[in-house]
Amino acid sequence: MPRRSQRSRSLRRLRIKTPGGRSVTHFSRRKNAAAKCAVCKKPLHGVPIARDAGMAKLSKSEKRPERPFGGNLCSSCSRREIKRRLIESAQ
Amino acid sequence: MFEIGRICMKTAGREAGRLCVVIAKEKEKDFVLITGPKAVTRVKRRKCNFRHLEPTPLKIEIKENATDEEIAAAYEKFDVLKKLNVRTITAGEAKEAKPKTEEAEERREEKKEEHKKEEKREEKHEHKAEHEKHEHKEAKEHEHKEHKEAKPKKTRAKKEKKE
Repeated sequence: MPRRSQRSRSLRRLRIKTPGGRSVTHFSRRKNAAAKCAVCKKPLHGVPIARDAGMAKLSKSEKRPERPFGGNLCSSCSRREIKRRLIESAQ
Repeated sequence: MFEIGRICMKTAGREAGRLCVVIAKEKEKDFVLITGPKAVTRVKRRKCNFRHLEPTPLKIEIKENATDEEIAAAYEKFDVLKKLNVRTITAGEAKEAKPKTEEAEERREEKKEEHKKEEKREEKHEHKAEHEKHEHKEAKEHEHKEHKEAKPKKTRAKKEKKE
């Protein structure tokens, strides 16, 4: 039986065949979900899908696009927002 | 709509959300030459697809392919930034505008002093290590010489060459 800390369903179970010919189960964390646009919920480009250490090693500019709303809105939503703000401020 | 002197806002790319002026029409289809100018709005002088520009109701009087200085003067003359109510300051101004509090300055000075002290400590360590190595070497050489005095002259010649 797996030890109690390994019974959580947030761990994924992998069947591994060892060089000795035995089959063992390995437990590993699941991958993160892709970042989504805050408005249209489409997956964002330019934002890597990585867990703790994978993200911590990256520099700030490697984790999001270099533009306003980068990492928050997709390109089409951000363009719409910029136009909307310009038109509103002109009134 | 995108005539020379029309003030637009870039909607796409790194410079999105910043104002620019149309200077000239490019030979390429759909492209115009724009500039901030860079000192005023941080938009570089380059071509841009008009589909990535949003025109504003403002237009300034400039000649085709005007220099950045002339355009900056026109900005002031027509009072563009105030009319459009858009804050576009340069990065340098933004740095200057940050208030340097006394506490922050003290912290900075402390850090500098610590850095200097660490450097001095490292130098001392290096000196000591070098000294020790030097002494070690000299001691070894002494021993060698005592052993090898009895040997024939060839080795001495070799040693002299080495030294």
